[in-house]
Amino acid sequence: MTSAARLSACPDCDLLQRLPPPQAAQRAHCPRCAAVLAEPPPRFPQLSLAAALCGLMLFIPATCLPILRFTLAGQTGSNTLAEGILRLWQQGFELLALLVLLCSLLAPLLHLLLNTFIGLCQALQRCPSSFAHCIKLSHFMQDWSMLEVYAIGILVAYVKMMDDGDIEILSGSYCLAGLMVSLILCAQSFNSERAWQFWEQQR
Amino acid sequence: MTMQPTTAKQQGLARCKQCALLSAMPSRQQQSQALCPRCHSPLHFRRHHSLQRSLALCIAAALLLIPANVLTIMTVVNLGQGAPDTIMSGIVRLWQADLRAIAAVVFIASILVPIIKIVALLLLMMVVQFRLPLSKSQCTALYRFVHLIGRWSMLDLFMISILITVVSLGNIATVDTGPAATAFAAVVVLTILAANSFDPRLIWDLEHHD
Repeated sequence: MTSAARLSACPDCDLLQRLPPPQAAQRAHCPRCAAVLAEPPPRFPQLSLAAALCGLMLFIPATCLPILRFTLAGQTGSNTLAEGILRLWQQGFELLALLVLLCSLLAPLLHLLLNTFIGLCQALQRCPSSFAHCIKLSHFMQDWSMLEVYAIGILVAYVKMMDDGDIEILSGSYCLAGLMVSLILCAQSFNSERAWQFWEQQR
Repeated sequence: MTMQPTTAKQQGLARCKQCALLSAMPSRQQQSQALCPRCHSPLHFRRHHSLQRSLALCIAAALLLIPANVLTIMTVVNLGQGAPDTIMSGIVRLWQADLRAIAAVVFIASILVPIIKIVALLLLMMVVQFRLPLSKSQCTALYRFVHLIGRWSMLDLFMISILITVVSLGNIATVDTGPAATAFAAVVVLTILAANSFDPRLIWDLEHHD
């Protein structure tokens, strides 16, 4: 197993190759197709956990505080993330509402919760049997979490309506921007190979 | 390490899709039930029925592009008067209102990205199926690009969900969603799934079968 563990296959071209020693400070790339093969050991091993906790704190204000306010002829309207989904549902677009719910609310939330759980398990050196399922589910949620696209959507909606009436960016937008940064940090600093090795050792 | 490029598959090794562990595939009879020893996910040399699935999803997405672009996606009702917009007429309206940057962003996210994704995936599948002599590293780069841009098509849908809530001013102005939104959402999801089903290792396998 020791010699096999040093071998790796490229995820994009299946080239069999030896990885550099695990303490190497640089990313390993595939020589044939340049895919990333291995990440260097993290400089801040608990950054992913910290970012996940930070994101969880911002989650409720980001989803419940108003994002934009629009005023026209004395009438005002504002929106929150959750209201947008509810309104799609009320207009009879249930499937669309479910998709927006998954991509902008459920997936980010579950991604943060699962990464908090994974980070805590590693920090406390405990490994429940659900650990492996959590890594897999977290990976799926990360794929479908599209809050950064939502943030650009807010900007586009803002610019689009500037000419039609008074439009203001409210506190929810700032929380959402913070939540987006936390999500990106959490995903980027998460080292799944380390988590899987932890799972293998603890079993 | 020998310099002759060898794939894991040629050595009877498979990389787990979930946890990236390289492990030996069992003998032929048990291959369909093979599990990764570390995370117990199903183990395959290549993604299962990669081309068939990806092609089916691409065709479905291409067909749904028609209703997505022909039907109304959004109706702005201003003082009782509705102005139904398709994706393209909305972009033209933005352009005419001198919001050129926004028009360009929406055009890229809602029109270009879905078409580029479908065309690029079909091209990659043709490269694999008909052994077209294209640069393998460029094909891989194209695949990575398709993967990267996929999620950005959701932009229009998020914008609709924002607009219908912000612009709900009773009799003065409201925004209603149109049937094209569901079709467009299906296009986005189907193209993402198609890109996920395609296995880029098939491109490189062409080098080893010669």
